[in-house]
Amino acid sequence: MARALNAPRPARVRWGEGLPAEVDGEAVEAMRESWLVEDRWWEARPLRRRYWELIGVRGRNLVVFHDLDSGRWYVQR
Amino acid sequence: MVACVHLPRFELVAAAEGSSLAQRALAGGALAVAPPVSADGAAAAGRLGEVSGAAEANGVRRGMLLGEALARCPELVLLPGNPVRVQELWESSLQALESIGAAVESGGPGLAFFDTAGLAGLHGTREGTIAAARRALGRPARVGLAPVRFAALAAALASASRRALVVGSPAHPTSARRWIAARPVDLLGYRERTAELVPPLRRLGVLTLGELAKLGRGELTDRFGEAGGLAHRLACGEDTPLRPRRPRERLEEAMGVGDAASGTALKRVLGVLVSRLLARAERRGRTLRAVTLSAQLVSGGSWSERVVFREPVSDPERILLALSLRLELLPAPAAELRLAVEGFGPPQGEQGTLLDQGRGLRLTRLGEAVAQVRAVAGRDAALRAVCVDPDSRVPERRVVLAPVADV
Repeated sequence: MARALNAPRPARVRWGEGLPAEVDGEAVEAMRESWLVEDRWWEARPLRRRYWELIGVRGRNLVVFHDLDSGRWYVQR
Repeated sequence: MVACVHLPRFELVAAAEGSSLAQRALAGGALAVAPPVSADGAAAAGRLGEVSGAAEANGVRRGMLLGEALARCPELVLLPGNPVRVQELWESSLQALESIGAAVESGGPGLAFFDTAGLAGLHGTREGTIAAARRALGRPARVGLAPVRFAALAAALASASRRALVVGSPAHPTSARRWIAARPVDLLGYRERTAELVPPLRRLGVLTLGELAKLGRGELTDRFGEAGGLAHRLACGEDTPLRPRRPRERLEEAMGVGDAASGTALKRVLGVLVSRLLARAERRGRTLRAVTLSAQLVSGGSWSERVVFREPVSDPERILLALSLRLELLPAPAAELRLAVEGFGPPQGEQGTLLDQGRGLRLTRLGEAVAQVRAVAGRDAALRAVCVDPDSRVPERRVVLAPVADV
């Protein structure tokens, strides 16, 4: 049975001033990029996400998105 | 019942062999195996090997730093270690025990275990079996019998030299457990995985195995990990089943090196030994999997190094290349070089192919690896990534994991 690689995982995100301030307990050092994805609008469950590519204090890249329909946060590689 | 045969101070006796001064000292003097010397000439951490009873009486212990030992016992006689002779003597002792029909598990030089069940048919009674073992060994041994290995070891250490100590029986294992409860926790030092627990347990005031058993398995596992759980099982009179060794074939070549005690000349001697070993008819075309390279040192004592080849080989040049690197670890000039086969591989496993079959070979290896992973972790354990929509704006739609087709 095939399954998706890089499936989104729920994340704990603390919102700061205009961008996430903390992702899963790791403070955000800087933001690299942000973009909007609106896709599958022709289906019953369209996809609307605001993506953020961030740099944590440990120096690693973090990609998180905010599901604009459910209001939940997810982390994705 | 499991029988434990303990030959006290085995390493020391082997080191003292052939030295009249050492033999005299062994009879009542303070004697210890000197710390091993590494290739750069430094004593490895300066810790002593086995020590004699008189040295123990002066407060000298195995593993003690050399300086501390000499401060406690200035008349201590140091003997160079002889690991090669220890292995030879121990192998002959194990073969002697196997000659009475026993399936023997070696616990290291000086310690052997075997199950007496089934041997009574050969030797009449259990006592007859023990007497046969003593006769075969031909040297003083302490023997203990108990339902499991660890209790048998405790019984052997507590036994008199001429009389076997029997603790409990398979029908009444609780009596063995009661007996072992009064034994000291130091016994855990005879087991590699639990040896490091002895000092902290003593510091915590846990002095006997009975006190250890009362602490609870969960608590000990929490504090010491897997070793703590094992120590509790041992203290409760439990142990794993015996794992007797498989009788193995041993092929050996030795050569006195004369003036070629080190350097390039020694490599030539090694080359001769490799050629001789490969020419032996007993090899029957089989490849070599593991060998032991050892040397008697000019300064006394010996040196030994086990070499396991990355793949079975029978090419003399490749064997020599692998072994000559180990020669550089020799701590002192050698008087004799010895090469012994420890394990054989399949016959002519490295035969070349006429055509380039790299792809086919890789696919075969991949198929074998996938089959092994699936056998261990289930059918979905081996998957491959397939690009289905690499340009998708949604990351999880770009690549999927799919089962690997049977290769």
